[in-house]
Amino acid sequence: MHEIKAEIAANVWQVVVEEGQMVAEGDEICILESMKMEIPVITEVPGVVRELHVEPDQTVQEGDLIALIDES
Amino acid sequence: MPTPTSSAGGDVHDWGPLVNDLATRRDRALGMGGADRVVRQRELGKLTVRERLDLLLDPGSWVEYGLLADHMDAGLGDRYLAADGAITGVGEIDGRPVAVAAYDFTVMAGSMGAVGETKISRLRAHSLTQRMPFVCLLDSAGARIQSTSGSTFAGAGALFREQVAMSGVVPMVAAMLGHCAAGTAYIPALADFVPMVKGTSSMALGGRHLVKAAVGEDVTEEEMGGSAVHTKISGCADLEVADDAECLQIVRKYLSFFPQHNGEPAPIRATSDPVDRRVDELYDIVPTAPRRAYDMRKVVSAIVDDGDVLWMKPEWAKNLVTALARIGGRPVGVVANQPMVLGGALDVNAADKAARFVWLCDAFNVPLVFLHDVPGFIVGSAVEKQGIIRHGAKMLFAVSEATVPKISVIVRKSYGAGYFVMNGLAYEADYIVAWPTAEIAVMGPDGAVNIIHRRTLDAIGDETERAAKRLELAEEIRANIDPYIAAGHGQLDDVIDPAETRAAIARGLRISAAKHVDRPARKHGVLPV
Repeated sequence: MHEIKAEIAANVWQVVVEEGQMVAEGDEICILESMKMEIPVITEVPGVVRELHVEPDQTVQEGDLIALIDES
Repeated sequence: MPTPTSSAGGDVHDWGPLVNDLATRRDRALGMGGADRVVRQRELGKLTVRERLDLLLDPGSWVEYGLLADHMDAGLGDRYLAADGAITGVGEIDGRPVAVAAYDFTVMAGSMGAVGETKISRLRAHSLTQRMPFVCLLDSAGARIQSTSGSTFAGAGALFREQVAMSGVVPMVAAMLGHCAAGTAYIPALADFVPMVKGTSSMALGGRHLVKAAVGEDVTEEEMGGSAVHTKISGCADLEVADDAECLQIVRKYLSFFPQHNGEPAPIRATSDPVDRRVDELYDIVPTAPRRAYDMRKVVSAIVDDGDVLWMKPEWAKNLVTALARIGGRPVGVVANQPMVLGGALDVNAADKAARFVWLCDAFNVPLVFLHDVPGFIVGSAVEKQGIIRHGAKMLFAVSEATVPKISVIVRKSYGAGYFVMNGLAYEADYIVAWPTAEIAVMGPDGAVNIIHRRTLDAIGDETERAAKRLELAEEIRANIDPYIAAGHGQLDDVIDPAETRAAIARGLRISAAKHVDRPARKHGVLPV
């Protein structure tokens, strides 16, 4: 299971995928908002989005789990 | 081969045995650690040290020093160690001399013996005296413990001091071509450029067996100090390469950007890429919407000669891009923010990466080009605990110190200390221009509004009303963030059409080619690290 974590303290602006969805390497999972910028969070592995731990308008801290990708 | 003989003068001289003996000794040395070890080296996916030298250097240019060396250690008995496991000499890259020291893993795992180290020390001295780059090809287990496990160690270690003395005088490269521990891991630490071969190279202060004994950790060399660790996480290496051949090719390419020593200008190369080429692609690459991310590497590739770029530390601190390239044939070091990663905001690693690269370029007269799109340094308790103040100060220090030509292009954002460390006007920018999208200010409107108008906003009870007021006041602040205001004050040399970026940088480089800056005499500054 591949963990996607926040690399910066941020607000969650948009969640682009849903649980159960297939994603390819480089696909956007969500878009964070921090330091005046939209920060796309991408998956570095292809697979299925097993768990999503964020929703729009919540805040995340650096290192918080955003999603789990089931590599297949 | 005819046997050389002479009978001149009546005496019979027979040169044959002497010359044959020499040839035999040479052949034995060129046989490295013997056929079995050479086979093993190849099985490990590595080239032999002799093959590596052939790929690194111009054909026929190699002059070897100390081919006939051996260990000369009574403790090792009559065992023969070809060249004592360290090949040294001078060869040429693109017709320019370089001093090369290469450890031979087929000879006692490339371990550092007394004679081999004396040879390499001589080469370092040679590199410094003759002012030529020093290239070390590393494939060595580290110190030869069999010979040096006692307290004669008290006299050891000169190699690192010598490297420090060479730093910034001649370019230094450490190519990682095998598993290197301890001593041979500090050599790259003190070199300017460190490429690592994926899968077969590593560097660690303690090798696998020592680590197991000392701290009980069970790890492989690859897990502890492989190319993935050092090019992606620790930042100790510059580049991960696929194999030995690519590694040696990259070393040649790297050195092509640098002069032989710090007393020479960086070498200019003829180019067919027009210096005033319009770069219309930039309209598609960079969104005008200030919050939208894009790939800064595409901007760099688009503006430099022939799109030819050598990315430095591309997989580490990816929120900042450092690269060697040419514009109008002149080598440049590019420092650029990367909005794709962390929004281009600066953190401790990005500041380290930039400072180190700026010091490198400044040491060897390579002009610097700064491409700004930076929302600032990341703020918050996490980065303060990492010491972002001292790391940020390091970048500020390096950029302030640099006396090479410094050209700045403000692409979009350039906020707060981010503007300073990216070589703002006050940092002796020789030519500073902005795109119409440029935003230069101490902080963004959304942050500023909460500070300037906090009381006004706090006084509004209704949340919707307060949000509306905040938006309105932020817009007032935003109206003052405009490149034409800075240009109006003469703080920007020009506002340019993005398509003119390449031409503008070339102009700046031409204007400042003879730049000379005097600083007050001192031993050295007190560096924030």
